[in-house]
Amino acid sequence: MIAQLRSSTVGLRKINFYPGCSLVSSAREMAESFFEVLSHLQLEIRTLADWSCCGSTPAHSIDSRASLLLPARNLLLAEDQGVDELFTLCPSCYVRLWDSRRKALEKEELNQSVKEAWGAPLSGKTKPVFFLGPLISLADENKAVFKEGALKGLKVALYYGCLLSRQIWITGLDGHSPRSDLERLLLALGAEPLRWGMEEQCCGAGLGVIKPGHSEMLVARIHDYARRSGANCLVVFCPLCHMNLELRAPRTNPVPVLYVTELLALAARIPKANDWLSKHLVETKGVLKALEAS
Amino acid sequence: MRADFAQEVASRAGISLGACFHCLSCAAGCPALEIMDYKPNQIIRMIQRGMREQVLESRTIWICIGCFNCLDQCPNRVDIPGLMDALRQIAIEEGVKVKEPSVLAFHKGFLREIRKRGRVFELGFTVRYKLSTGNLFQDSLSGLRMMLKGRLRLFPEKVKGASDIEKVLGGIA
Repeated sequence: MIAQLRSSTVGLRKINFYPGCSLVSSAREMAESFFEVLSHLQLEIRTLADWSCCGSTPAHSIDSRASLLLPARNLLLAEDQGVDELFTLCPSCYVRLWDSRRKALEKEELNQSVKEAWGAPLSGKTKPVFFLGPLISLADENKAVFKEGALKGLKVALYYGCLLSRQIWITGLDGHSPRSDLERLLLALGAEPLRWGMEEQCCGAGLGVIKPGHSEMLVARIHDYARRSGANCLVVFCPLCHMNLELRAPRTNPVPVLYVTELLALAARIPKANDWLSKHLVETKGVLKALEAS
Repeated sequence: MRADFAQEVASRAGISLGACFHCLSCAAGCPALEIMDYKPNQIIRMIQRGMREQVLESRTIWICIGCFNCLDQCPNRVDIPGLMDALRQIAIEEGVKVKEPSVLAFHKGFLREIRKRGRVFELGFTVRYKLSTGNLFQDSLSGLRMMLKGRLRLFPEKVKGASDIEKVLGGIA
């Protein structure tokens, strides 16, 4: 994908994007910071026209048919709109798209039900792409976009959560490969990525709304480990992780929770980064102070 | 009778129950184990023993988050999250007593949103869900803070193809 992006020479290169429901509401800052960072990297975003929800956890939990058909609708739209690679920011949307595509392409009868529902089977032309690997590679290649030492003073607890931590055959998502590049990039920008022990522990995911007490217990432990390792921010890669880590944060000494895209926006000194940070539920002034102090 | 249930579940979930050798790797890494009534491997054993009612009326099948940690850790790659999906769906079809009705209400409400407008309108969905479980004030303060900070969209959007989606998903309760 990177090779393909590099090889196009004229005008702005485009990235096709599937937002998903959180990214236009509670996680809008994640989408906006992603867009801004991409535009600094000379990339343009094109949002999938008339996209619909992937079905998320509720669909696969209680209705297999819906969990096949809802992502398939979006993949078909993407095929129609000439999209080869459909970027997602939300790991869960990614896994749902990947899973539906795989099932439809592997099982003739499932692709037949896709056809009965939406008028055409999946051809497989469109592949979902999780944003992290490509974003880090692009950022790495265009380091000049970022200010040297821009993140000096930040001790970062990278919180990968569930879906980025699984083996690739389970989710289709390679959340492991980009990690060393990301850490190298952060080091080059002056930040200090920590080893802190809760990188891959679950935040409670969808259970956060249904069983808030349990999620609070999981989240408290994550904040506690981050704080005790000296982190002045947690960095997340998932809208739901962000929601739980903020909404269910302990009252005393919670650690600010940044999207990785906001962190890169800070590194590129994108002025809007301050607006996004001011919308967080866990106070983020400490992050800005740490940056100013060094 | 015993074998029937095991066979039904195994074929529906596309897994081999016999592959589980109860090493407890699944349970050890499960983030929701504390609020389950049976460990994931115990559910497998109960299915093999034909304990249909106890399995379908268990808390565990509704509590499973689907984080895939168990599958990631399982030496035999037993797809426990897929098994839980299958068990929930059998439980719904058979109309057994649901041990965690709030989880089912959440899932149904979410799918209802999709049927209605093609997307999930977080604010409306959450308020309706909390109302339906009689917990309107649970999380209402943090929800209000999110709204005040402009973190929640206040009006829903509708997908152009929403009526197609409703037609296709129509069968969902």
